[in-house]
Amino acid sequence: MMGGVALLFACLFAAAGALYWLRRIEPVAALLAAGLTAMLALGLWKLPLGVPLRLAGRPVLLSQHVVWEDLSLQITPAAQALLVFLLSTGAVTFVLAWRTYQGRTFYPFGLMLLAFWAAAALMEPLTWTPLAMAASAVVAAFLIQAGKAGKTRGAWRQLLFPTLAVPVFLVAGWYIDQGALNPDNPTPYQEAGWLLIVGFILLLQPAPVHVAMPAVAEQAPPVVSAFLWIGHQATVLFLLQRFLVSYPWLAADIDSAQWLLWLGVLTALVGGILSAVQGTLGRFLGYASLYDYGVLLVAMGLRGTAGLPTVIWLLLTRSIALLTLATGAAAVRHHMEGDGLEQIAGAASRLPWSVMALTVGGFALAGMPLTAQFASRWAVWQLVAENDPRWALLLLCGACGVLIGTVRVGRACFGRLSGSPVEREPATLALLALGLVLGNALLGLFPQLLTEPVAAVILPLSTFGP
Amino acid sequence: MRLTDLIHQVSILLSLPIALLAGGMAAVIVIARDWRLVLFCYALLSATLAMLLAQVVPVEWGLLQAIVGGLVALICYRSARQVQGLTRTALLPDDGGQDIGLWPQMASLTSFRLMTVALLAVALFALRDQVHLPQLSPLLRDVVLWLAMVSLLGLALHEEPLHAGLALLTGLGGAELLLFTLIQRRMLVGLVMGGQVLLGLVVAYLVLARGLAGTVHSGREI
Repeated sequence: MMGGVALLFACLFAAAGALYWLRRIEPVAALLAAGLTAMLALGLWKLPLGVPLRLAGRPVLLSQHVVWEDLSLQITPAAQALLVFLLSTGAVTFVLAWRTYQGRTFYPFGLMLLAFWAAAALMEPLTWTPLAMAASAVVAAFLIQAGKAGKTRGAWRQLLFPTLAVPVFLVAGWYIDQGALNPDNPTPYQEAGWLLIVGFILLLQPAPVHVAMPAVAEQAPPVVSAFLWIGHQATVLFLLQRFLVSYPWLAADIDSAQWLLWLGVLTALVGGILSAVQGTLGRFLGYASLYDYGVLLVAMGLRGTAGLPTVIWLLLTRSIALLTLATGAAAVRHHMEGDGLEQIAGAASRLPWSVMALTVGGFALAGMPLTAQFASRWAVWQLVAENDPRWALLLLCGACGVLIGTVRVGRACFGRLSGSPVEREPATLALLALGLVLGNALLGLFPQLLTEPVAAVILPLSTFGP
Repeated sequence: MRLTDLIHQVSILLSLPIALLAGGMAAVIVIARDWRLVLFCYALLSATLAMLLAQVVPVEWGLLQAIVGGLVALICYRSARQVQGLTRTALLPDDGGQDIGLWPQMASLTSFRLMTVALLAVALFALRDQVHLPQLSPLLRDVVLWLAMVSLLGLALHEEPLHAGLALLTGLGGAELLLFTLIQRRMLVGLVMGGQVLLGLVVAYLVLARGLAGTVHSGREI
């Protein structure tokens, strides 16, 4: 009987290989990549995990264990939720990338990235999972560089931290094994706890080790950047939750919640303040996303009965906000002379829908009313204020920074067009931008639309049971 | 006597000279500017690490480090040579076809790097007894510490992908000494070694990407 894991990886890697050869026929590559990921997401969402199925005449059990020496992989209900999220984000991103000129290699490498993130989510032993994250960082380096000769800072920084995290997690795993041999001695667990904190700081990359995000945003195509952040950060937070559930002493002895709260507030503050003063679209995107990521970390630090649903809610709403902002930024960057604020003057007259996506995405990241992030952010602020109102105030300062940055970028787009002629945005791009803006407005007006999907994954994510 | 036994015994007998050679090679990787010297030192460092690994894991597993290190050095050599050739012949519009000498670009002077490595050596001698690494002999502990410190220094000092990448690989080589002492699993050895080859590929790619910046190839697809 074929296992779901084997089927998933066979599909993703085979399609990545095929799309590499087809990459020059971009519409075909984009639609094939989007179609495959959408189909896999739909299949994983609808099909039961524990019941044998027949696919193309062959028996398949989605939850079947795949064991390869010390490694084992299995699709659990919690991992199923993450996979559906990653694959559906991939499907949307592949379509957006086709119309926003993100580079032809995005489709095969994007599928490989999805495969490595999936491997990290499914892998046992738990302390070996950073190996898959490091492999995904290797693939991401090629995506960020996108075949261009020039700066390599973004690709290098994206690669560096997950690679450094690998030995830290592996040594922590050895200490955890030693602790199990002598349960009365707390020292191995304490050593493992500190190593895991260092390892997660390297994987999560909050401020002050946030240097990869702005560098990636400056260098990589914007939609690729957004895809990388959504996928990488969601996978790392999923791993963090797996560690916290699997090793309860980690939450009890080390007070990881407090660490996450502090790091989250610092990240949000740094991101918010710096996004207000950036001179290029790319760096604004990077710092605005950093602010948003900080808020997500704060929500993760809250945990408890309200924290986890808020994290899931934020993950969904930030995806649409990030993709909206990135789509607008990608279109403006491609059509104008550069992405400096003085170079994008007049963009609004030639690329009205893209500029609208850009500003709505910026407002959504700031958590403004009538955008996708408003309700989820409101929930976070309320929860944070219950703990300490000063933290909520700091988060609000960050949001003001993102708001100022968005207004600056928007104003720059409304300036006078410079000498060289600028091509009008294609109708399909305008339609995609409009769709994202409407999606934002819809979730802003009816946040209850996400209640059901969020409620469906709370139990598996909080217990990680079968 | 089998060859593996011979290597195992030689690695035990010559532990100190091999460890000193490994430390010296790691220091040269961070200090030197010349890309050929740096790559040669990395290949030699991999061979010495393989000998040291042969003390703690089966010799066949340890020797993988020499093969992987050699392969990475070879991949990077191809990229570096290509960049060197292209930057020599590249004609910048206002350069009149002269040797533009763009690559490798260093952010600091060699004498400065030498001094920082010397300071690091002093720090190692002062602090090494206070650091406890599980299951490692004092000599291997010093090697692991030295490689980790030199690697972090290299990452801090270099922005050039060749030098920074080799510094990262040096640190990972040191970490392997600790990891494979603690966890002796064939699968883990395979995954970590495979990961190093992938890392070498990315480093070689980034060497090309950065090396061609500022030449007529800048902005073109590579």
